[in-house]
This record gives sequence, structure tokens and C-alpha cells, in this order.
Amino acid sequence: MSILSLLIFLPLLAGLVILVLPASFQQRYKYVALAAVIVQMLLSAYIYINYNGNAFSGIDEESKYQLVEKLSWIRLDLGSLGQLQIDYFLGIDGLSMPFLVLTSLVMLVAILSSWEIKSNLKGYFALLLLLDTAVMGVFSALDFFLFYIFYELMLLPLYFLIGMWGGVRREYAAIKFFLYTLFGSVFMLLVIIGLYFSVVDPVTGNHTFNMVHMMNPANYVDGSIFNLAANQELFGIGARLLAFIVLFVAFAIKVPIVPLHTWLPDAHVEAPTPVSIILAGILLKIGGYGILRICVSIFPDAAIASTWWLGLIGVVSILYGALNALAQKDLKRLIAYSSVSHMGFVLLGIASVTSEGINGAMMQMISHGFLSSMLFFIVGIVYNRVHNREIPSFRGLALIMPKYTTFVMIAFFASLGLPGFSAFIAEAFSLIGAFNSESINGLIPRWMAVAGSLGILLGASYLLWTLQRMFFGQTRLMGGEDWKLKLTDINGRETLALTILAAMALLLGILPSLAFDKMNASVLELIRLVNSI
Amino acid sequence: MNEYIPYLSELVYGAISGLPLFVPEIALVATFVIVILADLFLPGRKSSLTFWLCLAGIILSGILSFGQLSFLDQGVPLFHEHIVLDPLAVRFKLIFVAATLLFSLFIRSNRTLMEHKKGVGDLYLLLPAVLLGLNLMAMASSLLMIYVSVEMVSIASYLMVGYVSGANKQTEAAMKYALFGSVCSAVMLYGMSLLYGFTGTINITDESFLPGLSALPDSSVTLAVILTMVGIGFKLSFVPLHFWSPDVYEGAPTPVTAFLSTAPKVAGFAILIRFLGPFYSFASVSGRVVFDFDTILCVVAIITMIVGNFAAIWQNNIKRMLAYSSIGHTGFAMMALVAFSQAGFSSLIFYFAVYVIMNMAAFMLADRIETESGAETASAYKGLGRFFKLEMACFVIVLISLTGLPPTVGFVAKLLVFSSAFEQYAATKSVFFLLLLVTGAVTTVVSLFYYLKIPLNAYLRKAEGERELTVKPAFLTYVIALLSFLLVLLGVFPDVLA
Repeated sequence: MSILSLLIFLPLLAGLVILVLPASFQQRYKYVALAAVIVQMLLSAYIYINYNGNAFSGIDEESKYQLVEKLSWIRLDLGSLGQLQIDYFLGIDGLSMPFLVLTSLVMLVAILSSWEIKSNLKGYFALLLLLDTAVMGVFSALDFFLFYIFYELMLLPLYFLIGMWGGVRREYAAIKFFLYTLFGSVFMLLVIIGLYFSVVDPVTGNHTFNMVHMMNPANYVDGSIFNLAANQELFGIGARLLAFIVLFVAFAIKVPIVPLHTWLPDAHVEAPTPVSIILAGILLKIGGYGILRICVSIFPDAAIASTWWLGLIGVVSILYGALNALAQKDLKRLIAYSSVSHMGFVLLGIASVTSEGINGAMMQMISHGFLSSMLFFIVGIVYNRVHNREIPSFRGLALIMPKYTTFVMIAFFASLGLPGFSAFIAEAFSLIGAFNSESINGLIPRWMAVAGSLGILLGASYLLWTLQRMFFGQTRLMGGEDWKLKLTDINGRETLALTILAAMALLLGILPSLAFDKMNASVLELIRLVNSI
Repeated sequence: MNEYIPYLSELVYGAISGLPLFVPEIALVATFVIVILADLFLPGRKSSLTFWLCLAGIILSGILSFGQLSFLDQGVPLFHEHIVLDPLAVRFKLIFVAATLLFSLFIRSNRTLMEHKKGVGDLYLLLPAVLLGLNLMAMASSLLMIYVSVEMVSIASYLMVGYVSGANKQTEAAMKYALFGSVCSAVMLYGMSLLYGFTGTINITDESFLPGLSALPDSSVTLAVILTMVGIGFKLSFVPLHFWSPDVYEGAPTPVTAFLSTAPKVAGFAILIRFLGPFYSFASVSGRVVFDFDTILCVVAIITMIVGNFAAIWQNNIKRMLAYSSIGHTGFAMMALVAFSQAGFSSLIFYFAVYVIMNMAAFMLADRIETESGAETASAYKGLGRFFKLEMACFVIVLISLTGLPPTVGFVAKLLVFSSAFEQYAATKSVFFLLLLVTGAVTTVVSLFYYLKIPLNAYLRKAEGERELTVKPAFLTYVIALLSFLLVLLGVFPDVLA
């Protein structure tokens, strides 16, 4: 078993161990989970260090992927439909490797913040680790069938995690999240089937779910529904364009984009802190990753044709998310909307199809992964102590929780794009890409970049305003003296988690090359692929 | 009488020559007789002897059927072409055996049936009989055989549904089922008599059957075919012939419901394939479409999926919800049928093999939870997750599989059905198939909504007031756990089932 499989199935194994352990070990479950995640983090660090970004750029060439595992998995003979060829096919390139590192770090923080969970620990940790397995699988799978299995496998644990350990409206939030995502992914299944019947493995001649083969127009059967030259139409739209839209919607629900974002504030707000961290830190990135790896790579022609709309959706998400955040009273809801806003930059960067833009989008996803985890962790600290997170309930927290306030300031300033932090690099690159697009490839107009930069301004306003309202001035709390006693400053465990995240944001802000060096070659390959159509 | 004498030896020879390939069914007949005698003379407590004899006979018949797979590679007509034995029929027969076996285990774990003053001996002896009927349905190739086998299964089903009828609801269910069933079969018989009158043969594979039909005006053929389809539709419970099923499913003893929602329904599909086969092969040979099954089946499938799944949303009673869900599944399975190709049939067989496991498990769970806690409705499931740890976990797996989500085998089954319908679309470019695919996808999301009600109530909601239950695992729990494990295992390695 090689390292990627280990990375994927290690949490599952730990989850099973927890299920088997008797209930008298209840208090030890978290240590089992923590141990698994630490090992996972070491593994991903090892992968990161040994990753060769330039020689192996991946994208549409199987031989350029790293840590490839390919085992024949399902071979069903379907008579006239041919043989169902499904491989256990894993591999990473510059688009997926950063997310493995991100996932393991965010998972570590999520487990650290799971100390607050008090009920039904066995189920909780088992589901959390199952979710970990699914996420790792999504980022490493190169067979569309396998990808889909991991993709759907995420839903059920999340449903229960939100629904059983969540807040007051948890039922509604959980079912809304599940139905939204499933709605996107069922139609994705239809496209997968269509792709399966359109693409053949050039070696065996069987139909295949291999994503890398799907990226090469030469592997499409003549006259098949998604053949580039066949120009087939479905419901009066080009079949490839329709498939692109369907896949885009499926992933865009995850990102999320306006107007498909309404599940997000509910899910984030109702979920317990660790699950909010995972949702914001990792799951949103699956949307962005899916758009790059699948929508853009498999349907580059349709992607080029839709860039204007992608850019527009990005800009609308940036502004609408930010304006909504400005209006929120609930701190968690504010951060949820800020996620919508920040993820808009990802879309804008991708739409530009420039090296700066896509690198910026990738960077934004990584940076947002760390920063949003940090923000949700911060909300969790207050909520955990007094079970309230309304902004007007607090004032002058800086006086009673100085260490905590320091981290809040780091997180807020980093999020609003202060130079020296990762978000600055990410947003700057996305905007540069969007700005240059008009002169390089003419795909999206300049005004989109200009409008996007307004989002940064709005971001500064809602974050600074919150900082001022909650942390500065004389201490005045809604709960009075009782709250003052409960609001103790952060402890060692919380400091550790926040330090990891702050350090990562700072590190990537000062040395962005740590990420760019690893992914730039893949991004260039992707751009070449898109432009070659 | 005398004019038959020259043909007599040929007739006898035809009957005798078919016997070697009829061994699994003969085994069932023998089991039936032995079980009657055993139950008559050695009833015993709980009819254990009857149970084991019955189980042994069914397993033996299953093994014999399985053996037939090895040497059959194409259809063999038997008994003057009244029945046809082909690999497809054998596969259906194996599914029936599996369903009947699970049914018999289920009966034995059901308290209502076991403690009924009538005893369960009579129910056991119905099993070989109904299995025989099911097998004949899978093999029937003449109108007469279709009618006889359908009736055989129906009559056995009427008896099962009414077996414990004491309360009004059960009596109503049994009455409704018998009345609706007999009307449908009368209508079917009328249609068949028309077909016979039009063509002069009762054998649907006969050379003169379809040419005879194609010579007639469309309206007469349509009438005859539709009347015949009514009887088959009753077994399948597709819309608009589904009205009986929710009431009957709710009123019948749960094991019987589980059985009715699986085996006879699958057999209905088998007989539909038999009935449609000649029409399709005639169309491909002569290029003349006698009856446009493609469109009709597409439309019926779409409506069935929509009605079944949407009606299920409003149900609170678990058995009723599962009844509507099984109507939805009928519609979905028809998607594989409209492709009408060997590939479509293999998808269908796979789908049904999985469907039998999931549906049986779902009803077993409903029964188990009802017996232990008295909860019959989704809202009564509130907070039960704490007491039924293993059962509820299994229920989640089963429901996920019914929805068709990975990593369960329900997903693979769904994928195969979608694939065969997609292939049909790619070949014909008919917009109906595209609509069929889209409906299948949309109703999947809808189905999740009502399936999730069970874990929603069991885990996410708290029970009103304090209640304590101590649930000890019963035999049925292990059967359920095994079936759920199978759903996941097959989901990861579907090759095993194929």
C-alpha cells in the first residue's frame, strides 16, 4: 500500500478502532483521532517535501502525475455495453497536492477544537474521521467513478455531524445542505455516464472513467455525445456546454456561488465549531478544485466560452457576500458570508485563464482554508464560553482576553488582505490575472477586476467594524459579571491551534513561493491545455 | 377424442422430454406435497419441521436452478413451447429463491405470525407453491402460461395478505387486494382472449402471432395489448395500477409486505420481458412496429417515478412510505426495460438482486423496530437511535442504498440502469429517454428527502418524555446486519454479484 492510500485509509482505520473501543474509553477517543491526524499530517508533509513541481506537472498526462497508484478494481461485463472498466486510480499534481497538506492541517485543528464536544463521542469521532477519508480521497482520485464515490461519501457524515451536534436549527441546516449538494451531484452522475460512453481507453479500447483520458480529445469515440467534433445538441444547447454547466453547478454549489450559496450560512452557523472549520477550510475548496480539475480540464472549450459568466458570478459573489457580511449581527454568520465573498476571488481568478489568475485562485483557496478555519475557531472560543455570539452582546473584549484579541487581530487583518499575509498575495494575484486578461486573452473585461477590488474594501469595513464593536472600548457584556468570569483567556490547546494557522498564513504571505513553486508548472500546463482547444 | 390419438405419442414425448430441464420446479412440487403431509401429521410447536423441510426444498431447488446456468447458453423451449428456459429466466429464478428464503427467515422471526393461533404451518406450505408460480412466470411463453402463473402467485398472495386478518385494517387490505387482483386478472384474460382470437394462437413466440397482429387495425391491437398489460401492471404496481399497494402493504403482516414488494414485482418484470420480446424481435426483423411500447413504457416509467416518490414524501407510516418508494423503484427499473437489450436485462437483473436485499432489509428493520418499540410511524421513531444502535445504523445503510448513493451497491445498480437508458438514448436520440434520465435523477433527490426522515427522527430529534427501552439483538438483527454488510461489500466489489 503506498502513501496516498495510507493517507486516505488511515483515518478510516482510526474511525473503526474508535467504533470497536468500549464506551469506558470515551475520553480517549479524541486522542486516537488526534494521533491519526498527526500521522496524516506528517505523511502529507513528507509528500510536500518530496514533491517535484517542475518535472511532474500532471494535468492531462498520466505519466506526469506523482505517487500514482493504479489497480484494476471493477470489471463488470455488460454485454453490448462493453466492459465496465473502473480503476482504483490515485495520483497527485500541483492542483491537488496543496490541498492534501491543507486538509491534514485543518483536520488537525478541527480535532483540537473537538474537545468541546461532550455527547456521543464515539459517533462523532468515527464520522469525523470518515469525512477525513472521503476528503482525502476526493483530492487524490483520478478515476471519475472513484472521485464520485468519495465525493458522495462526504455527504452522510456531514449530515449527521451538523444534524446531531449542531445548533438550534440543525435539522433544517443539515437537510438543506444534503439536498443542495445531492441535487448538484445527481446530475453530475448523468454527465459521468455520458463521458463514460464517449471516452475509450486508448490501450485497452474499453470505455473508461479515467479522468486523464477524458482530457484528451483524441480518446473520444467518433460521433459520441461529448465528442468535440460531433457538436451534438441536448435540449438545443451544445452537449459539451450543457455538461460543463451541469458540472459547474454541482461544484459551484460547494464553492458556493451566489445565488446557490443559501445553504452555506445555515450550515456554517448551525454546525458545531469543528465542523464549521472543516466546511469552510476544506469542503468549499472541493468546489474550486472540482472546477479546475474536472470542468475546465475536461471541457476546456466550454470553459473558454463561459469565462465571462464565470467572472461575473465571481464578482457578484465577492460583492454580494461582502455586503451581506456587513449586515450581520451574528459573528458566525458574518464569517460565513465573508467566505462567500472570498471564494468569489477564486472564481474570478479561474475565469481569467491567466497564470497569475489561476495561481492566485489556488493560493486564495489555500489561504482561505487557513484563515477561515482560524476565524471559525475564534468564534467557537467565545461561543463555547458563554453560548452567545451576537456582536452587540460584547464590547471591550480586549481588556479581559488580551491573548485572544491578538489572534483575532491577526486573523482579521490577514483576512482583509494586509500585505505580509497569504490573503494579500492570493487576492492580488487573482485581481492581476483578472485585470490582465483583457490584454492577454480578452476573456474577461477589466471592470470585473475593478469591481472585485471593491470587495477588498468592503472586507476591510466589515472586519474592522466588528473588531471595533466587539473588542475595543470599555468592557460591557450582555451577561454581566457572570460572563466576565466565564470569558477566560485562551488555553494552551487553543493557542496551539491558532498559532499553527496564523503561522501558515504568515509563512505563505512572506514566502508565497513555498506554494507557487509546487503548483506553477501544473497551472501552466492547465492553461496550455485550455488554450490548445 | 379419437382424432387426438395420432398425436398422442408426440404430445407425451414433448411432455417427457421437457422434464429433465424442469427439475427445480419438480423439486418444488415435491416439497409442497411433503410439507403438506408433514404439517398435517407432525405439526409440532412453531411448525419447526415444516419450516426446515420447506427451507431445504427451496434451497435444493435453488441449487438445481444454479446448476442450469452452467450448460444453458440460449433459450430452450419446453412443453410445446409453453415455457422457455433461458439464462435470463434462471437468473430471475435465483432472485426469487433468495427472496423466498429471506421471507421464510422473516416469518420465523415475526411475533404476530408465529404467535397466531392458526400457526404458521399453512404459511410455510404456501412458499414452495408461490415460488413455483414465480418460476413459471419467469419462463412463461404462452398466454395460457402467463395467465396460470400470474394467478398462481396472486392466489397465494391473497392468502398471505389475509393470513392474520383480525383487525379491520388487515381485513380491508386482504379484501382490497383480492378484489382488485381478480378484476385485473379478469381484464387481462379478456385481453388475452382477444389476442387469441386475432391470431389463432396462444403461443406468443409462434410464427403466426405477430404477423397476425400486424395485419389488424391499430386500434384493436392497442386495446388487446393494453387489456393484457393491466394484469401485468397489477403485479408491477406501476401507475395507474398502483392504488392497491400502499393499503395492502400497510395492512398485511410485515413479512408478507416485504415479500410482495419484492418477488412478485420482479416476476412481473420477468413476464413483461417475455411478453414484449416477440414484439421487439418482430420489429427488428420486419421493421414494422405493431405496438409502440417505447413511448408508452417511457411515459409510464416517468409518471410512476414521479407519483411514487412524491407521494412517499407525505407518508408518515413507515410501511406506507416504503410502499410508495417501491412504486418509485418500479418506475426506475422500467428505465432499464425500455432499453430492451441484453445489456438492459443484465442491468435489470443486477438492480433487482440488489433491490431484493435492500427492500427485505428495510421491511425487516421496520418490523424489528415496531415489535420492540411499537413505533410504526416516522414521528414515533424520535430518539430511537439511542436504543436501536445496530438496527438504526443498518437502517441508514439500507436507506442510503435505496437512494442509490455510494459506497453502497444501490449506487452501482442505479449507475447500471442509468447507463443502459443512456445507451438507448445515444442510439435513438429520442427525447423521451433524455426525460427519463432527468426524471430518474430528480426523483433520486426527492427520494432522499423522505428516506432521511428515518435517521432524522431517530438521531436528530429527541423523544418527548423519558422512555427507556432495552433492546436485545434477536435473530433477525443478525440477518439485517448481514444484509447491510452485504450492501456495502457489494458496493465496493460489485463484480461478486455479477
